[in-house]
Amino acid sequence: MGVTATDFLPADPLLHLLRRATYGPTPASTAEIRRLGASAWLERQLKPGSIADKTADGLVARLPLSRLSIDGVHAKVRSRAVKQYGWEPMFELGYAAVARAVWSERQLLEVMVDFWSNHLNVACPSGDVWDSRPDYDRVVIRPYALGRFADMLKASAKHPAMLTYLDNRFSTRAAPNENYGRELLELHTVGLGYSESDVKHAARLFTGLTVRWDTGKYRFDAGQHATGPVRVMGFSHANATAAGGEAAAMALLDHLALHPATAKRIATKLCVRFVSDTPPATLVTKLAKVYLDNRTAIAPVLRALFTSPEFAASVGEKTRTPYEDVIATVRTLGYAPEKSGTQALRALYWITEAAGQAPMAWAPPNGYPDVATAWASPSGQLIRWNAHLNITAGWWPNTLQRPASLVAALAGSTLPATYGGLIDAVATRLVGRKVSAEHTEALAAFYGKTPASPLRAGDAAAGWAFPYLPALLLNSPYFALR
Amino acid sequence: MSGSCGCPISRRKLLAAGAAGVFAGLVGEQLATQLAFASPSYSGDVFVLLSLRGGFDGLSAVVPAGDPAYYAARPGIAVPKARLVGGDGYFGLNPALAPLLPYWQAGTFGAVQAVGQPVPNRSHFSAMEELERAAPGTSVRTGWLDRMMGGLGADGPFGAVSVGSAMPARVLAGPAPDLGLTAVDAFTLSGEDRTRPMAATMAALYAGAPQSLAATTAMTTSALATTAELKAAGYAPANGAAYPDTELGKALRDVARLIKADVGLMSACVDSGDWDMHENLGAATPGRRMYDHLNDLASALAAFAQDLGPAGLGRVTLVTISEFGRRVEQNGSGGLDHGYGNAMLVLGGGVRGGKVHGRWPGLAEGRLVDGDLAVTTDYRAVIGEILRDRCGVADVSAVFPGVSPAKLGLVKAR
Repeated sequence: MGVTATDFLPADPLLHLLRRATYGPTPASTAEIRRLGASAWLERQLKPGSIADKTADGLVARLPLSRLSIDGVHAKVRSRAVKQYGWEPMFELGYAAVARAVWSERQLLEVMVDFWSNHLNVACPSGDVWDSRPDYDRVVIRPYALGRFADMLKASAKHPAMLTYLDNRFSTRAAPNENYGRELLELHTVGLGYSESDVKHAARLFTGLTVRWDTGKYRFDAGQHATGPVRVMGFSHANATAAGGEAAAMALLDHLALHPATAKRIATKLCVRFVSDTPPATLVTKLAKVYLDNRTAIAPVLRALFTSPEFAASVGEKTRTPYEDVIATVRTLGYAPEKSGTQALRALYWITEAAGQAPMAWAPPNGYPDVATAWASPSGQLIRWNAHLNITAGWWPNTLQRPASLVAALAGSTLPATYGGLIDAVATRLVGRKVSAEHTEALAAFYGKTPASPLRAGDAAAGWAFPYLPALLLNSPYFALR
Repeated sequence: MSGSCGCPISRRKLLAAGAAGVFAGLVGEQLATQLAFASPSYSGDVFVLLSLRGGFDGLSAVVPAGDPAYYAARPGIAVPKARLVGGDGYFGLNPALAPLLPYWQAGTFGAVQAVGQPVPNRSHFSAMEELERAAPGTSVRTGWLDRMMGGLGADGPFGAVSVGSAMPARVLAGPAPDLGLTAVDAFTLSGEDRTRPMAATMAALYAGAPQSLAATTAMTTSALATTAELKAAGYAPANGAAYPDTELGKALRDVARLIKADVGLMSACVDSGDWDMHENLGAATPGRRMYDHLNDLASALAAFAQDLGPAGLGRVTLVTISEFGRRVEQNGSGGLDHGYGNAMLVLGGGVRGGKVHGRWPGLAEGRLVDGDLAVTTDYRAVIGEILRDRCGVADVSAVFPGVSPAKLGLVKAR
């Protein structure tokens, strides 16, 4: 057949950048990047604090439990606004993630929050972190998402959510629990290549970092810290006193964050997220060096990634994951949030859950897979196809603000004269290009027509049956590829 | 053709009853393809692979009660001898497995002890990948169940099915077709009808798409007609079987449904998660973590066996696998860290059950591998014995490179 992935995507490098660095182009973001150019657009995204974000802020304000500190959750329990062990704060955090992914202007920040939430995964919702998971998002992930990885890693190690999720809070001097020590090495930092001795030493060094039973907050319990020399991946420390245990543990984290294997691992994962399921070794090597040269600062790494020739050459090498697909559907259609309430946010969250990828909800500590083969499932595909039609037609969620005339919004205010013209206009608006002649015929045939058939205002295709056309385009490879 | 009749309807019966017309507008040419597809000539057992994710503690399930080192290593969480059920004198079953006791006694449920991968691997993710690739030291990238399906010449969309997840099963990764179903009833296409051929349009839109996308779409569009029939027919478990309302219960109910509907099912994959019990594993009493989880597992398996009935179970073999067993000695949190050797559970009409197979290496200090139960039988050899004797796989080494079937006598030859 000789058809490749690039035959399904527009050649425009600005749209390539929007498809990768955001949750998908919207009419507004496309206009903005054309106005600013790639470089100024990227610099603006790398400084999210400078971007006003009224719509997303307003939506998150409708989900106040999503922003609670640990003390805040406990106060809500005392005032009976939240049940003891209740999951609503964690669910609100999930709904807020969806709201920000769709409507935040700080798109690259939100994509990176998702990236780090997976890299340092603490499954949300899960029972044991009911009081600490929103705080983990607030004080560990968001502040450092475009900052220094070493800072985020140290914040995670001392956060009750991570200490609970990977059991370090239960670790004891006499019988260290290895769960955190192993995943710290394998997942958070250097990757496979550590030894069982590294795990045992790391587990020993982290004894004493625990959580207070009364307040749910972090504390270092020197009485549970196992002293004595440790050696982990080239790090060695006398670890002579129990009181110095916390500082020694933090020193190990600084060492691991700056380990070349960590640099390579994070560079590889960023490339898999933004460039290709099989990233070019040249780019990984280049980005690992930028990471180390900048002492684990992430913004310079992203700048180098998005301006690299490897990135420019990677059109068609990524496929949308289910979460990216659902979010991009709403963005591409350009629908606005409901005027009040959170029903649509909840509905969208549960659509991503059904598709297998609710934000932050992956149970094991390795985070969601980020490659196409891991999601290539008929059931997953059907769930996404059904979501495209339901969202487009406004059947579910049914409270998003849709254009008064969807045909006019997607095909222009003047109705095209033929079915082919209609298909061209809607495809150009949604996926940035016309579809092939064969595919135009297939779409016209759906309505029992050919591309040359005249289109009349009274036709079903221009009326009640119109939403099928954008849905079919969103189902197609022209949209499935990122 | 009411969905409430409660009787299992095979697709042939359904078609004979004239139901085909109901679906004629569904997916156009795809339906014709489906009608031409009869059950393949496969006459072996339906092989059901139940993956226990997170590292199953085989020692809590199939308890080595005759080994004093077991009780010494687990003062807080060992299962007391007096509470064990079933078993075979040396081993006893956790009382949470009581729902399976009738099958143990009937000899259709058994276990193998001290099984595992050829070398220790205590990383969840790396161990799972190796478990499902099952070809260490080679460049083979496919999943082993895909290689089995390829060797048996599977072709229809329902030959190999994974149930319960929107993600594909890695053990089925490779060229043989396989179908991922979250649930049979959920596999529907919104908007499809006689005048709006969505599935056929999608098939056309993916013509020429990159292979990874096109292959999934081909499976999706070709499976829709059959799932529509199954959904219309409805399903009620037979023999009074009551599946627990758990992910596993729902998934096994759908596997039984596919088996009885005669859609050509040869193998099925289902998952059971949350076995990674680093802390507070608990005593063997209701309300405690391991007990409750084992009991959920046993209830789902017992319902599956009951639903199939003796005749149905006679052409099914189900085995459990897990990425690793757990440390013999409990940790400071009343839990168990990652270990090595493990137990496999086996259920099926052809199983020689009611006993624990395998060679027990013992738990005394000098017999352990870095504190873990040693492996005396490669899990691939155990599965290989089943594939050869129950599924008609002539060359097990084509599925598991370099591996010969074990000689456990675990199953009766068909």
